[in-house]
Amino acid sequence: MSNVPGFLPPDPQVEGPYRVTPQTAIRIAVLGVLAIALFAALFFRLWALQVISGERYLQTAQNNQVRTFRVPAPRGAISDRNGVPLVSNRPGTLVQIWPAALEGMAPARRAAMIERLAKIVSVPVADVRKQLKLHRDDPLTPVTIREAVRDDKVRYLLEHQAQFPGVEISEVELRRYEHGTLAAQLLGYVSEISADQLGRLQDKGYSAGDRIGQVGIESAYDRYLRGVAGVGEVNVDAMGRVTSERQYSRFPEPGYSVRLTLDANLQTAAENALRYGVALAQDNGEWAADGGAIIAMNPNDGEVLALASAPTFDPSVYVGRVRPQALTRLAAPEANYPTLNRAVAGLYPPGSTFKPVTALAAVQEGFLSPSEVIQCTGSIKAGEDQQVFRNWDPNKNEPMTLTTALANSCDTYFYDVALRAYERPDSPIQKWARRMGFGQETGIDVGPEGEGLVPTPAWRKRHFESAWDQQWRPGDSIQLGIGQGDMLATPLQMTSLYALIANGGKLVQPRIVQQIEQPATEGDAAVVVRAFPGTKPEDIGLDQSAITTVQEGLYDATHAPYGTSTSVFSHFPVPIAGKTGTAEKFVTIGKWSGLRDQSWWCGWGPYADPELVVCAVIENGGHGGEAAAPAALKVFEQFFGVKPGSYVSGAVESD
Amino acid sequence: MAVRVEQRQVAPLGAEATRIVRHLDFALLAAVAGLIAYGLWVLSAVSRNDVPGDPDYFVFRQSVNIAIGVVVLAGVALLDPEVYRRIRVPLYAVSLVALAAIFVADPVRGTRRWIDIGFFRFQPSELGKVVLILVLAAFLADRARRIDDWSTTFTAVGLAAAPAVLVFLEPDFGTAMVYAAILVAVLFIAGARWLHLATLAAGTVVTLVSMLWLLPSAGIQVLRPYQVERLIGFWNPDSDPSGATYNISQSITAVGSGGLDGRGVAGATQTNMNYLPEHSTDFIFSSLAEQRGFLGAALLLLLYAIVVWRGVRTIAVAPSLFTATIAAGCVVAFVFQVFVNIGMTVGMAPITGIPLPFVSYGGSSMIATLAMIGLLQAVHVRGRLAAERR
Repeated sequence: MSNVPGFLPPDPQVEGPYRVTPQTAIRIAVLGVLAIALFAALFFRLWALQVISGERYLQTAQNNQVRTFRVPAPRGAISDRNGVPLVSNRPGTLVQIWPAALEGMAPARRAAMIERLAKIVSVPVADVRKQLKLHRDDPLTPVTIREAVRDDKVRYLLEHQAQFPGVEISEVELRRYEHGTLAAQLLGYVSEISADQLGRLQDKGYSAGDRIGQVGIESAYDRYLRGVAGVGEVNVDAMGRVTSERQYSRFPEPGYSVRLTLDANLQTAAENALRYGVALAQDNGEWAADGGAIIAMNPNDGEVLALASAPTFDPSVYVGRVRPQALTRLAAPEANYPTLNRAVAGLYPPGSTFKPVTALAAVQEGFLSPSEVIQCTGSIKAGEDQQVFRNWDPNKNEPMTLTTALANSCDTYFYDVALRAYERPDSPIQKWARRMGFGQETGIDVGPEGEGLVPTPAWRKRHFESAWDQQWRPGDSIQLGIGQGDMLATPLQMTSLYALIANGGKLVQPRIVQQIEQPATEGDAAVVVRAFPGTKPEDIGLDQSAITTVQEGLYDATHAPYGTSTSVFSHFPVPIAGKTGTAEKFVTIGKWSGLRDQSWWCGWGPYADPELVVCAVIENGGHGGEAAAPAALKVFEQFFGVKPGSYVSGAVESD
Repeated sequence: MAVRVEQRQVAPLGAEATRIVRHLDFALLAAVAGLIAYGLWVLSAVSRNDVPGDPDYFVFRQSVNIAIGVVVLAGVALLDPEVYRRIRVPLYAVSLVALAAIFVADPVRGTRRWIDIGFFRFQPSELGKVVLILVLAAFLADRARRIDDWSTTFTAVGLAAAPAVLVFLEPDFGTAMVYAAILVAVLFIAGARWLHLATLAAGTVVTLVSMLWLLPSAGIQVLRPYQVERLIGFWNPDSDPSGATYNISQSITAVGSGGLDGRGVAGATQTNMNYLPEHSTDFIFSSLAEQRGFLGAALLLLLYAIVVWRGVRTIAVAPSLFTATIAAGCVVAFVFQVFVNIGMTVGMAPITGIPLPFVSYGGSSMIATLAMIGLLQAVHVRGRLAAERR
């Protein structure tokens, strides 16, 4: 220890008893006096500040208060592929209260003011109180009372500002839906950030009171659309009145705009077609028909041109003051879930539109030859219990090859093929269905998507409890072979399947957003901030001859005398190929429940050089050829510029 | 026999503890208890809106800090201070290592002050204060006979400079100043010559002038720009009301607006609307003065004055030069922090970020302050015991 620098060995002399020397006593006294002096200095300084000049500082505190403010950035616009605006902004007026300013007020005065304010902006007092209560832990963020306030009310509030301390009026950009209900589920809506979202997103630059996209494109591309909020300071007096110019420390930066791959005209046509298909079904006595979906997509690159879902709703119910009754109405079962995007999240048994998957799997795996002839009959018996499985046409009895069976949509032909698949250990239909994108999300850039279901023996074992239900039986394979039973698909998955058939075996990645743009300003052209070129279609390894056979079968389905939608498409000037489907689904509508037919049609055109794939489903719409096929035709009419009535077309009863 | 042996070993220990407790300075304990209770009450009123949804966030955590600090106080008060004299070298080494370890950690808000040890964020510079008092007191007691030597004074300066420079580099200018105050206090009470003290004072002035003016004009920046702004702003608070001195003028407005009896918790707009930055820590006095007025602030000053009075008295009753020096270091560190913190909020001292003892939110500061109170108690007890023996 003695070698450590800085520490010399202790004094060798033994220390005598310690006594406070007079010199030390003086020093302790000096210390004490110094401490007294410092305390006295603080005491008199406080006396001077608080007691002598207290009034003046109180005045300063009340009159010259700096308040930080936050100005939301103008939100970016959403346009279609040609720059046609779908969602833009319109100016509105925002009325807000600073909760901190309310705290200093007498309770009676505060209540009276809130009551008057609520009356002026036509918001129930209870709602205002509820909002304030919701934000009581955060007195430094203004609480929005109402967003879209009429000009005369704004003028009144401004003139009588002294009577409304802490009430702030500012400009705000409100969402404008240029085409009303058009693409409502796809575009989504914006509303104030919830406490839950704030908790998750606080470190990503979101603050209390921010507006955030809740669903659809508004949600999926919120980080591009929202821009950067401006912040700054402003002086206000004790009454909350602004007494200085706004000093920005950061100006708001407008959000980027999003350009979709959607074509507004085709989207309009698809939504009209959907309404037309529902009306056709109801004319045919399908009383439960009340919705569906139509998708139009480029089969070569996956660009979605139309994504329609019915029933629909007006997203402007979320703009301005949101009326709870309006939201309750949207959520009611009678409304048939208009906010659900059926095109990507609706789950339906695909029925006969699934038959090409069975055909491709069988030919590819070598247990079916395209030239092989199988007798198409009215019904077959299968399984240990000799259960009867019927054809949609009970009177058929003729030999068919694969193309004819597809065109005719012969069920018993595919039962036979499915039974062969049942004999094989590796579930070939399910294997190829998964490769074609079934049972999983397609990965389109707007969600939430449905996964659907491809039933397998393993799934059966997992999903059911009793030994009987856990067993995969011939009947399960038979049902799967014609897209029935437990099989579930989204309209978007079916669109991908028909794109794959049309383009010769390549799975495309469906996508809806083309690019993010910095909008054009004065003197500056629009700049592409980020482009989404899409991924290369993936060849899933199908035999070209198998695909060609299926393509031919689907062409015959729309052109041969025995085709299931020949009467709809055969005279259309552009060659269209495609398949009907009539899928039974167990549904519950109000008090009624039972099996209803889901009307499907999927196909593409022109046949040899595909430009557009269309898939339509009419919920509870009956036969595919009677509702979905004529609806899909309307989309082709718009796309190829063919005038309705310039050719012969009629719906047909078929599978 | 066996019973008697056991009793002989246990009984003296118990008797020792009883004698220690009897000789505690109860006036000091009462004042400290009052300060802790008052501080917690102030903190709860000031911080209720700081964490949305959890008005007791800071109060709860501060209560845990107090509980730990009280245990530390009890332990330190029971222990004979002579122990520190024996372990001064390891104490000094641990303190320096902890201060140096800071520079390995990630900076928080631009400064490196904390070390994460699991559940607790520990601030070595607070512990370093206590260690510096003990180490300097030990060194000066060793050198009692050669206290007039220049080498004694210079070595003491060197011993204080090493940790102070590390703290200064964190950067924590305020706490480095506390270290300087401790050095002056122990030299003063240990009996350093007036000439040495005057030389130190002159040296300080020269250093400050060169840091603020000479070296920067030669192109060498010792202080960071914000530190210079704060030091200059303190002399001239009206120069830039929205910039560097914004905090001072907002704080003075808050204090002044409190008037005689305060604006209450709800009416304290300076606090509630966040015009006062750091109102749970550095500027908590401004909030107290705004909410409770001159009466509330004066009550706090009175409690501090009692602590200082008892502390100065303890220097006089200390049983040895070593313990007297310890007591002096503790008292001066305490007075210095109270004065610089409150002085800062009323525009009498530069903004340095020193916590207000017992009131500012913060675990390390609370525990270190209670440890210093424990040291004062230990010195007081040993002094009384020695007097009893005589």
